[in-house]
Amino acid sequence: MNVHELPMILFTVIAQMCVGTFIVLGVITLIASRRHDVRTVERLTEPVVYAIGPAMVLGLAASTLHMNDITNTLNVFRNVGSSWLSREIVFGIAFAALGFAFALLQWFKIATIRVRQLVAAATALTGIALIWSMSQIYYSLQTVPAWNTPIVPFHFFATTLMLGALAAGCALMLTATIRHRRQRTTGDTGTGTEPTEDTGSSEGSGEGSGNALATMVRTRVAQINAPTTTTEWTLTTRTVQWLAVASATIGVLVLASYPLHIADLATQGATTAAAIFSGTFFATRLILLGIAAVILALFTYRAAGQALRENPTLLTTLMTAAFTLALIAEIMGRSLHYDSMIRVGI
Amino acid sequence: MTDSLTEAGGNYGFYFDQSACTGCKACAVSCKDKHDLPIGVNWRRVVEYSGGSWQQHGDTFTPNVFTYYTSIACNHCEDPVCVQVCPTTAMTQREDGTVFVDEDKCVGCRYCEWACPYSAPQFNVETGHMSKCDLCYDYRETGQAPACVDACPSRALDWGPIEELREKYGDVDAIAPLPDPTLTKPRLVITPHRDAQPWNDASGQIANPKEI
Repeated sequence: MNVHELPMILFTVIAQMCVGTFIVLGVITLIASRRHDVRTVERLTEPVVYAIGPAMVLGLAASTLHMNDITNTLNVFRNVGSSWLSREIVFGIAFAALGFAFALLQWFKIATIRVRQLVAAATALTGIALIWSMSQIYYSLQTVPAWNTPIVPFHFFATTLMLGALAAGCALMLTATIRHRRQRTTGDTGTGTEPTEDTGSSEGSGEGSGNALATMVRTRVAQINAPTTTTEWTLTTRTVQWLAVASATIGVLVLASYPLHIADLATQGATTAAAIFSGTFFATRLILLGIAAVILALFTYRAAGQALRENPTLLTTLMTAAFTLALIAEIMGRSLHYDSMIRVGI
Repeated sequence: MTDSLTEAGGNYGFYFDQSACTGCKACAVSCKDKHDLPIGVNWRRVVEYSGGSWQQHGDTFTPNVFTYYTSIACNHCEDPVCVQVCPTTAMTQREDGTVFVDEDKCVGCRYCEWACPYSAPQFNVETGHMSKCDLCYDYRETGQAPACVDACPSRALDWGPIEELREKYGDVDAIAPLPDPTLTKPRLVITPHRDAQPWNDASGQIANPKEI
């Protein structure tokens, strides 16, 4: 494991996961909206949106550890005209800011749904720009053969979508489990989305704005955690099935890309870099990726087809295991990416 | 000599006579001493490149081996990749064409270190910033030549405006283990060793990787 580049490994993997989750949620929203009403779709995707924020903040925090003199941090925007690293930082912060703005609008139901969708679309596009500039940091270095190849952007976008799909699936199942637990403890019947109209009225209750805000937040949390309806459950399991298929497909493509990458490096004479992709660590990364993205994902697909709303445990466990293993596999893969930094020349 | 050697548009570079170099490393030591560089930071280094083969004539095997040295610092490239990738603009090209690190801007992200195929930008743990050869800017301001040039006992090093160096010594710079010169267009002229290998068809390897 490459400990020296740990801040970069964590930042790139976490940021990619966040962008991926956001994009996957967008796709889910677009597809699900064709058959379901706005409220059902929002109940599905909304809790996951709020989970992205803290993760992205964690990723950006890790990235600052890559610098050795943070007192000069503000200079990192100066070379936007020529440095992909500057561009990455600009898009990274823009993605976090837009995502935060979207989460705020969504939480407080500010502005019309169209405006919110526009903000979400802008966030997703910024996210894609972030992953693109992130991959160009490495791809643009002609002096590093293992980086100056289309495999790098491919791997970065693959990580983005695969971890995005698995993280979203995991979050969906955790949400369903929390809603299920609440239902058991409160004895709720599962039809309720009753506190919806409180959102507007609680603001003007005159009990001091802090108090009103607290009440409002509590109401929103209760709304979000209200038990899953049958329609919502069917939508959740169908979504999880599609996410499993997506992650398995991407996992297979990533596994297939390595022989090409190694062969390409060997033909260029970059044998030291090619040799990085061998040995126990590399094998473990491939096996974990295979287990997580392919085997577990296919089990998840099956389990999602049979899971009952009353017992989401098995599916949640499978989904969480697939996500965790895939995250470890991707961190290991990124570690190898940094190990393969072997320059031409001296 | 007191006239300024930091003219704008001077486009200064180094000349290296590979056929005269004995690998004594006086250049590396004088550089380290002049700039008081910490352990692990060596702006000028001497690379030892070795290789060889066997030829069979009947029952006789004849060895054919070579070793030659390349003294290398920063080449103050025409296309300095370090300047292009630096996020902060701390890596700056002076009016006279030489490249230096503005320590007030550097965040020590080490991206330039990844990019440079000559290992010119090096991280200084003591300052948390990158550091590199600035062709002894302070010496040049007082009319002196860079420390390494004056220190070489074989007179294998020279420096000056690259146009003058090329007129005087030719334009060879594509020698292994140096990289493809089209990557960064180094301001460097070499008089090759008799066994010098071209960068793209080299059979040897760097014999002292830990020293460079």
